[in-house]
Amino acid sequence: MKIRTSLPIVFTVPTMAVLAILAFVPTIDAINIALQNRELSNPDSVYVGFANFRALVDDPRFLNSVRLSIEWELLTVIATMAAVIPLAVLMFETTPPNVRNALCVLFIVPALLPRVSAAFVWRFAFHPLFGLAVYPLKLITGHPVDLLAEPHTAMHAVAVVDVWQWGLLFSVVIVKLLETLPPQLLEAARLDHAQTWEVYAYVALPMLRGALISLVFVKMIESLRAFDLIYVMTRGGPGITTETLDMYAFSQGFIESGRISYASSMAVLMIATTVAFTILWRRVRRWQEV
Amino acid sequence: MAGGLSRLAARGIIALVAASVVVPILWTLLSGFKNRVDIVTPTPMLFFTPTLDNFLYVLERESVRAGLINSIIVSGCSVLIGAAFALPLAYAVARYPMRFANDIQFFVLSLRFLPPVAIAIPLIVIWLDVGLYDTRIALIATYSLLTLATTIWLAIPAFKRVPNEIEEAAFVDGYGPYAIFFLIALPIAWKSLIGAIVFSFVLVWNEFLIALMLTTSDAKTLPVVASEMTQLGRDVPWGILNASVILLSLPPLPFLGVLSSFLNSALKTRNQG
Repeated sequence: MKIRTSLPIVFTVPTMAVLAILAFVPTIDAINIALQNRELSNPDSVYVGFANFRALVDDPRFLNSVRLSIEWELLTVIATMAAVIPLAVLMFETTPPNVRNALCVLFIVPALLPRVSAAFVWRFAFHPLFGLAVYPLKLITGHPVDLLAEPHTAMHAVAVVDVWQWGLLFSVVIVKLLETLPPQLLEAARLDHAQTWEVYAYVALPMLRGALISLVFVKMIESLRAFDLIYVMTRGGPGITTETLDMYAFSQGFIESGRISYASSMAVLMIATTVAFTILWRRVRRWQEV
Repeated sequence: MAGGLSRLAARGIIALVAASVVVPILWTLLSGFKNRVDIVTPTPMLFFTPTLDNFLYVLERESVRAGLINSIIVSGCSVLIGAAFALPLAYAVARYPMRFANDIQFFVLSLRFLPPVAIAIPLIVIWLDVGLYDTRIALIATYSLLTLATTIWLAIPAFKRVPNEIEEAAFVDGYGPYAIFFLIALPIAWKSLIGAIVFSFVLVWNEFLIALMLTTSDAKTLPVVASEMTQLGRDVPWGILNASVILLSLPPLPFLGVLSSFLNSALKTRNQG
């Protein structure tokens, strides 16, 4: 359609304007507040330069939360991908199409649950005295196990729920992608006496490389926002052993002290990390297409 | 093929994973119908005398009703605002050659990924300063960013899937560009667009952190109310908690079919196109 029309302008400008206002006002204000010493209880404030950022470096609790966020990030991204790719291959390889379709619908359910609900369902299942998931453990060891109250296991227990919600959704995505591959290719590999795992490791999965990399980035970015799960399941505890960056920013800005400027400086760091991940993703995608 | 044994093992693993979805959710559902004595047992109880008390108690709570109304208004408005602004932009990006098309898509994507805690912190200050803190309007405005970004992101491919020939035929028949959008493209892409809109609804219905930080009493949404119930003290009324979690989780579930077929069609064309 090679006609002159106002449509592109009329359809894009208002929406972009709304988006820009909704997005830039809070992000720019985050930076603005981070440079002040504002507190929730007291609206008077002055600019203090980078004092909040300098204070972060000397704050052991902040450093702890950064370390935990990195651990959480690695743990959930690696566990999700490691669990999901074999699961998707198994589903694709061994289940008849109607069973597979039913499983695909079922595996979307955890992702559809509000995170608050998912967190509660599992907190209940992990309950040391009458939780269903820890019941076998209790039978074996003979005494109640409280996974969420043990510093060593709390984060892993929360990570299980994260992988449960995201991983199963990803497995559905990968199964659907495997279904779109031309079956002749896999057939040809089999005729060349490739083992089943070789067919996937060398033929099928490399063909989905771009999509799999995208999934890794989506998970990396989504893992930065694990707040809901942690808030409902452990509230950052026991102690501060599951207090990730978003949890700490929340407690600094909101519950404990209302140090909104200090919390804002963490918000700025988180926004910067997200933007960095997104830019990296874009680069990788471009490089993929070449 | 290494034969039946490995196939059997594979199916065992898949069955276990499926059980990990069904069993905990079902257990929560069952426990919603239990009296406290039947929950607090050393051995999990499968058979018990069911009671409706928990659900009735939750439904009769003033806070739950207020939360439900807030959730419906806030998600409803932000989804509608999101769709009204997102669909035209998505269509323009999908159909018209634009210099900034890629940048727009990238910008929208990065908005979709902004960490909620990071935007909620400055928004507390902003809404406090303009006197709209703890109001539905503040939540609707904030959520509109989410619904807009999500709907644009998902609607662009949906519009791209509308066959170009149909629009060209309409053009030859004398339809103007706007008529083509409203009378041709929208109705044809409608099925996928509904998927995109439903997706944005589920997202804001389930949203917790922003609602937690931007409300204190009047505008609390259902997830916030439910989470407050799950934080009750030591002598936890587990039956009531389970019932409230089940009630919170119900609204997104009817859309399971829509979302599943949306995922299907989105992924199918993605690899062929």
